[in-house]
Amino acid sequence: MIKITIDGIEVQTDREITILEAAKQVGIEIPTLCTFKNLSPSGSCRMCLVEIERLSRPQTACTVKITDGMVVRTNSEAIMRARKAVLEFLLINHPLDCPVCDKAGECILQDLSAKYGAAAGRFKEGKRTNPVSFEDPVIVRDMQRCILCTRCVRTCDDLQGAFAISVINRGSHSLIEPFSGGRFDCEYCGNCLSACPVGAITSKLHRHTYRPWYIERQVETICGHCGVGCTLTLQMRENTIIRVIPDFEKGLNSGMLCVMGRFGYDYTEHEERLRSPLIRKDGELVPVSWEEAVEFTAWRLKELVKKYGGGAVAGIASGRCTNEDNYMLQKLIRYVLGSNNIDSAARLFYRPAVSYLERMFGQGITANLIPGIANSDGVFVAGGDPTTINPVLGIAVRSVWKKGGKVFVVGKSGGLRSNIKHELNHAEGAGALVLTWILAKVYEKKNFISENSIIDKKLSALKVPDMDMLVRVGVSPEALQYTADELVRLKNPVVIIGPETVLYGNGSKNLFLLGALNYVLNGRLFVLMDEPNTQGCLDMGCSPGVLVGGRPVELETFGHKMENTAGMKTPEGTGLNLFEMINGANSGSIKAMFVMGENPVFNIPDKKKVESALQKLEFLAVSDIFLTETASLADVVFPASAWSEKDGTYTNLERRLQRLRKGTMSSRGRADWKILADICKALGMKESYTDVKSVWDEISRISSVHSGVRYESLIGRGGIWPYGGEPLRGIEGDFEVEGLEDMPELPGFAQSGRVILKEDKSLIHSSSLSRYSPALMGVASEPLLMINPVTAQSLGLSDNERVVITSDKGTAVAILRADRGMPEGVAALSNTFKDNGFRSIVGYTIDPTLKSLNITDRVVTIERAKQL
Amino acid sequence: MDERIILRNTDDPLNASIAGYMAHGGYKALEQAVGELTPRDIIDEIKSSGLRGRGGAGFPTGMKWQFASLDPKFPKYLVCNADEGEPGTFKDRPILEHNPHLLIEGMIISAYALQSTRGYIYLRGEYPHAKRVLERAIEEALASGYLGNDILSKHFRFNLTVHSGAGAYICGEETALLDSLEGRRGLPRLKPPFPVNSGLWGKPTIVNNVETFANIPYIVSQGAKAYASIGVKDCPGPKLFSVSGRVNKPGVYELPMGISLREIIYTHCGGIKGGGSLKGVIPGGISTPIIAPENIDCPMDFVHLPKYGSMLGSGAVMVFDDTVCIVRVYERAMKFFEHESCGKCTPCREGTAWMRAILGRIERGDASERDLETLQDVAENVTGKTFCPLGDGAAGVLLAAMKTYREEFEYHIKNKRCKVQ
Repeated sequence: MIKITIDGIEVQTDREITILEAAKQVGIEIPTLCTFKNLSPSGSCRMCLVEIERLSRPQTACTVKITDGMVVRTNSEAIMRARKAVLEFLLINHPLDCPVCDKAGECILQDLSAKYGAAAGRFKEGKRTNPVSFEDPVIVRDMQRCILCTRCVRTCDDLQGAFAISVINRGSHSLIEPFSGGRFDCEYCGNCLSACPVGAITSKLHRHTYRPWYIERQVETICGHCGVGCTLTLQMRENTIIRVIPDFEKGLNSGMLCVMGRFGYDYTEHEERLRSPLIRKDGELVPVSWEEAVEFTAWRLKELVKKYGGGAVAGIASGRCTNEDNYMLQKLIRYVLGSNNIDSAARLFYRPAVSYLERMFGQGITANLIPGIANSDGVFVAGGDPTTINPVLGIAVRSVWKKGGKVFVVGKSGGLRSNIKHELNHAEGAGALVLTWILAKVYEKKNFISENSIIDKKLSALKVPDMDMLVRVGVSPEALQYTADELVRLKNPVVIIGPETVLYGNGSKNLFLLGALNYVLNGRLFVLMDEPNTQGCLDMGCSPGVLVGGRPVELETFGHKMENTAGMKTPEGTGLNLFEMINGANSGSIKAMFVMGENPVFNIPDKKKVESALQKLEFLAVSDIFLTETASLADVVFPASAWSEKDGTYTNLERRLQRLRKGTMSSRGRADWKILADICKALGMKESYTDVKSVWDEISRISSVHSGVRYESLIGRGGIWPYGGEPLRGIEGDFEVEGLEDMPELPGFAQSGRVILKEDKSLIHSSSLSRYSPALMGVASEPLLMINPVTAQSLGLSDNERVVITSDKGTAVAILRADRGMPEGVAALSNTFKDNGFRSIVGYTIDPTLKSLNITDRVVTIERAKQL
Repeated sequence: MDERIILRNTDDPLNASIAGYMAHGGYKALEQAVGELTPRDIIDEIKSSGLRGRGGAGFPTGMKWQFASLDPKFPKYLVCNADEGEPGTFKDRPILEHNPHLLIEGMIISAYALQSTRGYIYLRGEYPHAKRVLERAIEEALASGYLGNDILSKHFRFNLTVHSGAGAYICGEETALLDSLEGRRGLPRLKPPFPVNSGLWGKPTIVNNVETFANIPYIVSQGAKAYASIGVKDCPGPKLFSVSGRVNKPGVYELPMGISLREIIYTHCGGIKGGGSLKGVIPGGISTPIIAPENIDCPMDFVHLPKYGSMLGSGAVMVFDDTVCIVRVYERAMKFFEHESCGKCTPCREGTAWMRAILGRIERGDASERDLETLQDVAENVTGKTFCPLGDGAAGVLLAAMKTYREEFEYHIKNKRCKVQ
């Protein structure tokens, strides 16, 4: 026990804390400027000087640890003079333009000056001038106002791990500048913005449009961009979001946000938001009333079910909608219309990956906590870049490196390139080969005895590929050896699985290899999830063979439960999956479809095929916030409310249930669950729902996984898996691995002049939704084709050129960007920009084991675009 | 026979080569240390010799070594601070350029005592000649088996690299030096932890000045007792003084610790140039407070100078006679501090610039009595409140000068011109 006295008040603690922390415990305020949440102390602003008995010089309270018997004074005349002096030093060159500064009202310098500062200045020399930069699309950098506390630089280096900004020059000429000069050209997380105590780094989005005291309301909600589920605060005036700020006290993100979460909120106020329900009349979509749209939809669905049976109806759910929305869609399709044909874009990667891993190891195997990654001593990543797909999870991986842990990336290292020792970037198609070698070596070194005979049998069947082959696919023996040696040493490893493990073939094999690697290492698994509620969408039964809570359709007991509570029966047999629905629509067996918050025309490969399939439907209803490529084919379009406009719950990739809270109501859209409940009601459903909570109550009654979870309790740690209940166990069984015994083949390289195309996940964009965000479009406005510089050169193309990419399925136009992280002969294009999405120009087959997407037709030619 | 210890044989142009150095008995101390003594013996010997660090702070070297050797972490790093940047200081230069093997031998013995396998010489960027000399000397020592992976076939490994600084004064501060050596911006680090426990790359690190290392071979070969008999009690040994300014024979002098300023100026440096009268002496580099003529009998060592309100610092003696304007001296000094302030902490960054601006106006005859008050107040607001000693020194020396030579400042303000013209 350490006892100290601060200003005559005794403080007792059993931890070695700083004087600053100790003072806080007894309510003594010591002013600080350079101290900031989660940053280690710097001791540079000198604002927190205190007197310590027996020491001649004042000491900084933020850096000095308390020792037993210490006597501290924070309010002596000398200390007050010292504070006044520091503020005077800071103000001599500070512009005092508070009336036009966005920070005024929440500026620490302003507050402290009011409290401790001098009444008048005595600085006669001219103020120094520093640059003010408006060059950046989202961040304004006014170095006149900077007080050089370096909170931004330390946040960028120590927390974000981007190392994008630094102090340049020296002494009184010091200023903060991005390494790129004017524009930041960084990860645009904007975490430096929340770190800045003054108005030196501010957001351009709401520049000069608000004062902190203009904010009328704020709500705590969950970010709607990716599967991490960061907690953030929406600040509003009337019906407009003024800004999004992080909450340092709550949430799994500890106050960190990424570019999408911080700046990408403005799509909700885009002028193309749907304003009214639309019905196709004489080939044109025309505005109608809500009643008309609901009744028309109910009537058409009823008629078609009567004519063709429930099996002719299908529904596509969405990982962008809440659990309640997805639950209601599945209720409509399954229990009102009598069809198990319900699926979602989770089918493209997340669902097959997670369900395969759950078949290996049981339900909840991927339900591990993101903040816990930071405690790991090593992270193994394969199949995607966590720093772009789930940026805040990516930061956790970097923090492992920061603490001396090891990071391994199979494939393009992307945002983790500074955190790895060796590249394990391989030729396209050789991922399984590399993973097989690593697993086999680790298995051999670990001398592993498995308790699971099924996995053990498969592990011992592994054949170690020849090092020659690995060298031929571009991986160095040194890197492989290092990886195997270091992996077996890890005590608390993490394995992260991304979409590329499944999207380009060898899906079951890759998943088996990674699952088994995690098993042998005794690690924690994470599966990257690009939408905020893909997991919830599955938990809500939006899957042809699985009901709410993850029970297989075949299990009768659940059917009875559903019948008892909702009075409706579960249809028999597994329904059609996403691809089968498209095929069904094409062949005519599917006649009607309800698509909620999803854009299959853009997000499923082979645009022409999907488009023509949907056109053949007798009835297509879409609820969305924009008139997407899919919505424009519909017979009825419902304007939905956006993420910021609704209450409900999301389940993130950790399976953590978190509550979304309604902020603004800038559109006339309605929550999807409400639209669907109205349709169900019109079709004869007995229940009525007053609000989203009543929907949740029904879910928690029906779902064994969510049983007894109250809506109000979903705060803090309340929503963490397994939600106080029992996870479903005992369905681990045998699983197929396709081609495990086969010796991996060397991938065939593209012929000259042709390149293999992959999907690129841009950090800035959140699939196709963010193309409606002016802020994100400001940062990245055009589709980019990332390509190996040698390959580009061999094609006679150079950086920043506009190029046309042609495949057997279509063409896209993009700006060429040389990227040394791309293997030779490979290029990558994102699936974001209208008319130029990756998936529109490739085809697909279905993986026989996983029933997942296997993207084909990826061989493309790239040519310089003709001058317009 | 050369009586000197540090500058011994530096008149011999061959001394910079290993052959010349060995002809004068060089590397005998190393052979003796590695052959007859344990690391513990050497540390004890250094402790009982009473050697204090020659970089400026005068910290007992033996104690520093003991702290590092008690730290269980390995590897341990040995760093020589050769970033001689304090204005007026050029005492390490003759060692670096004319006696490089003495430094290297001192470092190797230190490495042996501290069980360090890696050493760096952080050399002032403006010493390109010294760099060439040192690098050649290191190669010679390697070839002769005094450096490398198996020194004197005793399974003792030590390798040495010269790293040139990029011209920042702050990198002479040991923690900023370590940051710079690690490839970062040189900024002083938070202490504790001290470099002896967490220095270069977080490992125990000894940072000693060039001159400190140059004392080691003598202590090892002649014993602590012989060493302690030189100079004064509590501060023994020889000291290099780099004397500049208005004296007849400026230069680097090796004299015993505790010698008086008067002796340095009048006995060794031939008195004041042009026969003028002495106005003041800065005894240890620009960061040490100026000493008035009436105090020049003070003994020059780490113990006595503080009693006269100053410090020994690096032993850079700057002599001013009555042709020198004190305001001009401190305006120029403040320009230096402003330029060299790293900018990390507020009082130093803003205070040095502000003080320089006011001093500039006083010097130009564009200031009022109020400005003198403000200057005094600003300097007091910097003193004792900065992150590292740079700002503290800047304000401290100004306050001392303003106290001793106040009428000169006032003369500038009243008459709008310099008293000395």
